[in-house]
Amino acid sequence: MKHIARFTGFWLAATVLLATPLHAGEDKILPNTIHQHRLDNGLNVVTVPFDAPGLAAFYIITRVGSRNEVEDGVTGFAHFFEHMMFRGTEKYSKEQYAAALKSTGAAANANTWLDRTVYHMTGNANELELMFELEADRFMNLAYSEHDFKTEAGAVKGEYTKNFASPYSQLREKLAETAFTTHTYGHTTMGYFDDIVDMPNQYDYSMKFFDRYYRPEYNTVLVVGDVTPKQVNGLAEKYFGAWETGDYVSTVPAEPEQTETRYTHLQNGSIPPYLNMSYKGPAFSDERIDMPALDVLASIVFSDTSELYKKLVLEEQKVRFMGGGALDTIDPHLFSIQASLVDKDDMGYVMEEIEKAIRQVREQGVDDTLLERTKSNLKYSFAMRMDTPTNIAESLSHYIWLTGNPESVNRLYALYDKVTVDDVMAVANQYLQPERLTIATISEDDKGALK
Amino acid sequence: MKTLLKGLLFLSAGLFACQAGAMDVTELKLENSSKVVFKVRFQNGSIADPAGKEGLTYATAALMANGGAGGMGYSDIQDMLFPWAASYGFKVDKQVTTFTFQVPANFAGDFYPVMRDILLEPNFDEQDFARVMKNQQNYVDQVIRASSDEDYSKMALEDLLFRGGNMAHMVQGKSASVAGITLDDVKAHYERAFTRNNVSLGIAGNYKNRMLRKLKSDLKKLSKTAFSPAKPSDAQMPNGIEVEIISKKGAFGSAIFTGAPLPITRADDDFAALMIANSWMGEHRKSYSRLYQKIRQTRSMNYGDYSYIEWYDAGGRFQLPPSGVPRSSNYWSIWIRPVQIASQLKSQYEELADITVGHAHFALRMAIREFDLMMANGMSEEDFEATRTFLRSYTKLYAQSPSDQLGWLMDSRFYGRANYLAELDDLLAAATLEQVNEALRKYWQTQNVFVTIVTDESEASPLAASLIGNLPSPMSYSELVRSGLPEAVLAEDDEVAVYPLNVKKVTIVDSADTFK
Repeated sequence: MKHIARFTGFWLAATVLLATPLHAGEDKILPNTIHQHRLDNGLNVVTVPFDAPGLAAFYIITRVGSRNEVEDGVTGFAHFFEHMMFRGTEKYSKEQYAAALKSTGAAANANTWLDRTVYHMTGNANELELMFELEADRFMNLAYSEHDFKTEAGAVKGEYTKNFASPYSQLREKLAETAFTTHTYGHTTMGYFDDIVDMPNQYDYSMKFFDRYYRPEYNTVLVVGDVTPKQVNGLAEKYFGAWETGDYVSTVPAEPEQTETRYTHLQNGSIPPYLNMSYKGPAFSDERIDMPALDVLASIVFSDTSELYKKLVLEEQKVRFMGGGALDTIDPHLFSIQASLVDKDDMGYVMEEIEKAIRQVREQGVDDTLLERTKSNLKYSFAMRMDTPTNIAESLSHYIWLTGNPESVNRLYALYDKVTVDDVMAVANQYLQPERLTIATISEDDKGALK
Repeated sequence: MKTLLKGLLFLSAGLFACQAGAMDVTELKLENSSKVVFKVRFQNGSIADPAGKEGLTYATAALMANGGAGGMGYSDIQDMLFPWAASYGFKVDKQVTTFTFQVPANFAGDFYPVMRDILLEPNFDEQDFARVMKNQQNYVDQVIRASSDEDYSKMALEDLLFRGGNMAHMVQGKSASVAGITLDDVKAHYERAFTRNNVSLGIAGNYKNRMLRKLKSDLKKLSKTAFSPAKPSDAQMPNGIEVEIISKKGAFGSAIFTGAPLPITRADDDFAALMIANSWMGEHRKSYSRLYQKIRQTRSMNYGDYSYIEWYDAGGRFQLPPSGVPRSSNYWSIWIRPVQIASQLKSQYEELADITVGHAHFALRMAIREFDLMMANGMSEEDFEATRTFLRSYTKLYAQSPSDQLGWLMDSRFYGRANYLAELDDLLAAATLEQVNEALRKYWQTQNVFVTIVTDESEASPLAASLIGNLPSPMSYSELVRSGLPEAVLAEDDEVAVYPLNVKKVTIVDSADTFK
């Protein structure tokens, strides 16, 4: 990735987001300058000054998630490792780390997803140096006992236990393993329960995991708020400068092409009947038009303002809720349409209506006015959310884990502007085809009704 | 104390709050903002539901927000707002209903008539009504039981604490009452409980003064009915520890909530002192609180353990407390996230093949014992200072966005305060260790508390027998974990396993029989 450092602006006062109204066609969706500085060891340091006096959002984006769980028996490990990152170092025992974290007065936590793990704290900008010191220490010098490792596995099991209460969680697990036979997207980030139960036996693997991925080249430091690039870069040099680059390259097996519709079903009568139609989609890109065109398609065909929603939810009232869209992921994932039904006997009808709506886009495209209105909605929706350092950091972290470059947010929204009716038709024809489809259902019946 | 987030503490530059006639108005002018946020609040809430029509306030607000208005159909409204990405929604809690509207500043003028019509001229259309009620019925019949055992046990605790009172039912109502709500009920309730006499207004962002004047004037066109907010029922004091076990087919763990009455709220200065004690004991989602360290970190029993001195909305979703849920009838509580049940442990570890009860009884004993120890020993000076310092920074993070800032200011008014978060900082700064220790002993007790546990049907009876018999509940670790535990932890476990709880009543309720 290019070294992009916009030093010309670093002494300027913090900018205020959208102090002037947003107009379609502007170059960058995020008016705040994104400053990037790469340390000699490869660590990318991103600073976005924002007018929130006294406040800073400090994020570390580790580009490792359940996608990287390529070995057998270690599903859920990236998430488990996120837990272990709170278990102390030689300098700060877990008790000392907790006390130091408390002293920052920050809202701090972490979470793991398919492609990444994000560690975040939002708090007093005056505590920025302590935040750097704590984070650098654990990212470089994590040290936990084998007993602590075994103990933490119980908390992960507790997390699985609370999640399992939702039938939708159970269906997500089935959908993933049905849609992906080879790629690691075939298991959820939480992992399989048997692997979670076995986690206490994986201490040695955890050492390997840390050694592979908790390295500068897999991580980005992002700070948004009442800070300057000079201050942030200086602290990054001071605390992360000695971090040694690694050499591990994660090889994730490619998913073979799907050739026919697949099915999976969960028998559960405790919630309304549920239909999920998931098509194999593209990987995220800030250069190709595919994903922006699919996002526009999703909004036009499946959002609350779509004709299909009006028919099925508002008029016929056969569906309680529906929606659709693609997941932004490093490797190709799914474009999913979900519908919560009133009556399970309407499952076939609702699926036909969804397919009919897709067929219409494939053959006739979409209304040009609607396309422009959708682009406007996408832009204003984004701009309306960017009103706190935390919200900006959350958004930028999304693009950092996808491409490694936060400027992808500006590139993506510039691509939205370029989406044409032909692009929408093309992605519908390319991706929304029966041979790419997996159908996942929930109903009280022991078998799905659609096969 | 270090310089703290001055911009968030603040707001003084653009903040106005006034009684404009009878209407309470909170203004937060942010001239650099790109948007305008409106909050229109009615002091009614679910306690305004007539008996037998529980869920009516929610149904009325839901139909206003999810139906047509001013003669426009719901989908026409959505179409109009779509290119602006303007949005709105509603929140019904026990004592207030709040509508929040957000729009880019440059479309505020176009948006205004839609907002006005939603508030003043809802269509109350039959077809919209059918759709909205289908979802509300589904929530009380299925969603609350089937989506999250944690939320289920939390709602069940309120049902138990306030049983027979107007605070007992979920804001969405009960299965039978929701089924009986008619469109005429909604229309009548709108006239009765959404009036010019119980409305308050908040506005934040880059708005024009003439728009505010217009809105204030328009809101006077609401119903003229003299609505008097109901008095919320008090939480009841149980006789000993009273446990309700909800037996659910296929539950994977035991989800636990406990609670007991608390006579103070944010309106009382003592609340800040108790907040310090509570934060040390069980700050929401924080790894450095006592319960978390004892139950999760050391013993690996679940995902987390927290305590509260007021309602915390959607705790599974939010890391920071949301605004919009002010209450004058209060209780304190402990949330023990799902712990393992016997059938699961037996299937996972050969060495646990003989156990008959999972971890719920031990976890409950441990949590109660920690409160007892705190009441006996008080906080240390060191813990007091560290926790106060933490809170003086952390509470300023509650209101970051314009919408959150406005919400917290409006909640302040509910409690008779001008700016609660700013006043809280003063109270925290002035608090002493003696005050904190006095407050926690005055307001907390563990002899009389309600407990709700949602668990698997295989666990319900053995757990009930263990609780009512005060039977020993030795911690059942896997050998993997037990073998590495320090002696001090195992010794403490022995004490916890036989720690006496004042359990006087245990009932088992079938999941199908809750919230009827």
